Amino acid sequence: MEPITGKALVLACSAIGAGLAMIAGIGPGIGQGYAAGKGAEGVGRQPEAQGDIVRTMLLGAAVAETTGIYGLVIALILLFANPLVKLL
Amino acid sequence: MLNTQKTLKNLENSIIKYMLFADIAIMILSFFLVDEPIPFIVGLVFGSAVSALNFKELAVTLKRAVTMPPAKAQTFATTKYFLRYIVTAVVIFVSIVAPYINVIGTIVGLIMIKFIILATNLFNDKHYYQNIFKRKEDEPSGR
Repeated sequence: MEPITGKALVLACSAIGAGLAMIAGIGPGIGQGYAAGKGAEGVGRQPEAQGDIVRTMLLGAAVAETTGIYGLVIALILLFANPLVKLL
Repeated sequence: MLNTQKTLKNLENSIIKYMLFADIAIMILSFFLVDEPIPFIVGLVFGSAVSALNFKELAVTLKRAVTMPPAKAQTFATTKYFLRYIVTAVVIFVSIVAPYINVIGTIVGLIMIKFIILATNLFNDKHYYQNIFKRKEDEPSGR
């Protein structure tokens, strides 16, 4: 059996790290869905407030969405442009 | 209903307009601060264009979601979120792989919308700064 090289270890750990970073993408999805469900409930209860509800939800959802992008960036950089390999 | 759609359209357009201004400001700054400004600018334009399209898509999704039953709206919004997420992933992947696009520029373009929304809808409110250090317990209602 070949010994594990430093590069292989860093790449394996990076892959695990990328997988863990992708968990960050699930949160905004669940949150946005929950907000949309509650928004639909709100519009059902008070149809005249639809404009305000959608407006507020749009701003909140857009801000929440960027949080998922942070995790995605970390994951993709670890996979395709790993800066740690250069340190070996 | 028509008025509602008009207000939402105005909001979308104003945020995209602010985004263009911020893009131009960052482009000018990049000429002084970045070693290779052209790939950075290409990335910035690429990222902010996709971000603007995602924002428009989000508005369409939410407009449709509020007319659905709550359970269906939840599923619909989550599904659409993951579709947008995949688009973002493709954009970042392309900017990593392509040598003529700076990945930092793309990331700045993608997350700029957050700062624009915060700057135009939260931090432009004087009451926000006035109330920021106010304790809830000190209010007359006592709650």
